[in-house]
Amino acid sequence: MQDYVYPSIYFSYSLFALLAGGALYFFVKSLKHGYLGKDSEEPKYRMLHDDEQPEVRK
Amino acid sequence: MPEEINKSVDTRSSAASGPALVHDDTTAKWFLISSIAYFFIVGIIAVTIAAKFVWPSLLGTVQYLTYGRLRPLHVNGMLFGWLLAADMGLSFFMVPRLCAVKLWSEKLGVATAILWNAIILGAVVSLLMGWNQGLEYAELPMPLDIAVVVAWIMFGVNIFMTIASRKYDQMYVSIWYIMGTILWTAFVYLTGNFAVLFATGTNQANLNWMYVHNAVGLIFTPVGLAIAYYFIPKASNTPLYSHKLSMIGFWSLAFVYVWTGAHHMLHGPISQWLQTISIAFSVMLLIPVWAVVYNFFATMKGQWHQLKDNVPLKFLMSGVVFYLLTCFQGPMHSLRTVNAIVSKTDWIPGHAHMAVLGAFSFFAIAGCYHMIPRAFKTTIFSEALANWSFWFLMFGGLGFFVTLWLGGFWQGWQWNNPSIPFIDTVIALKPVWIVRFFSGILMFLGIVSFGYNIMATILGAKDRPAAA
Repeated sequence: MQDYVYPSIYFSYSLFALLAGGALYFFVKSLKHGYLGKDSEEPKYRMLHDDEQPEVRK
Repeated sequence: MPEEINKSVDTRSSAASGPALVHDDTTAKWFLISSIAYFFIVGIIAVTIAAKFVWPSLLGTVQYLTYGRLRPLHVNGMLFGWLLAADMGLSFFMVPRLCAVKLWSEKLGVATAILWNAIILGAVVSLLMGWNQGLEYAELPMPLDIAVVVAWIMFGVNIFMTIASRKYDQMYVSIWYIMGTILWTAFVYLTGNFAVLFATGTNQANLNWMYVHNAVGLIFTPVGLAIAYYFIPKASNTPLYSHKLSMIGFWSLAFVYVWTGAHHMLHGPISQWLQTISIAFSVMLLIPVWAVVYNFFATMKGQWHQLKDNVPLKFLMSGVVFYLLTCFQGPMHSLRTVNAIVSKTDWIPGHAHMAVLGAFSFFAIAGCYHMIPRAFKTTIFSEALANWSFWFLMFGGLGFFVTLWLGGFWQGWQWNNPSIPFIDTVIALKPVWIVRFFSGILMFLGIVSFGYNIMATILGAKDRPAAA
């Protein structure tokens, strides 16, 4: 029987590295978009009224 | 605070124009109705299993009704049939509203719901027949695993395309959690159901535990928190305490959670460095957990009186307390000294049930109670019955959790004493399992009252139109 132990571990950990890298990338991106800045509280007020939102034609 | 809310509304209404947005919610309804049906059916199986602990010869030797067949069906039915399906349904409800656009494709959503139901029904048949891969939480046979991957891609495409067409740049924290859930589930599910088949021995066990722990930590936790972050402000009509803190909670969860699974294998044959890493990351979990819980408690400051007659809020805030307790237990369980006592004992199902039932199912039930009347433009069939469902589930749950924690410690201490024959430690736990069975009956009554209330709400929707 072929031993797939190390290929499976490499597969899993490369997936983990991909996700950790992705998380780091999007975290930095979220910082640039001001999610931890002075306007970061706006979404919490907006969501309270999301059932009354009018549709915007794109 | 109210001034800021009004300011936000003014900004919104002046910025927008055009016809009012009406959400279809067909997909959300499909998912929620079917998930509640599975909650009831699998609840019967759960009580049957609890009874088998006390009366092992119950149902005789009918192969389809043996413990080995029913237990995987209970686990998969509750995780994928009830909870994940309910979470997906609630995601289909929340995301379009938070993005202020319609769902990208209701047709694709309904197709996803049909495929998901086919998977669950296939799981019922295959697991009762004994077609089982023999890996915890990953019991489903390969064809169904592949179908789950296809359904998840369909779900992910629909949600991401909806988010891509959103009206506002800044996304509310629930959207971040739902996006995280979709990506992490892909990673966790592929590892736990496919990569694990190519590994052997200790490596296979390590991969399997990474999957089992992260199934709760990177699938049900993020989507459960997305629901809590949405419905706690909604149900209490109070803005979240801090959106910034919620983002800190999200990112700390994203970086910390994935390494914790190995704490279920301490004192086993895995490498010491991996054990130490899992302990360190498990303890670090206290950071995202406390960030989340503090945010919810601070949101409720001055609003606790609302719990008196607001059933969804009762479920939500009880769920938050259970979440805090669960996530305090987790890091403590990962410490080598504590682990030496409780690992592999009945303490673990006590802990896992508090996470999946006490925290995340409570969030999902609250979401159903909030969403169903709005989706069907009606009012809840019975507030009193909703209240009964809460107390049944609360007392049933508490009875279950507490007796298993105590029983687990007791079991662990006995196992650590080599002079006690193993079979004596099994016999000693019978009183614990009797309490577990009667707690299960209470929980099942909670499920029945919840399911009946939702069914009566939907069937009588035309007789009780919601006030405009």
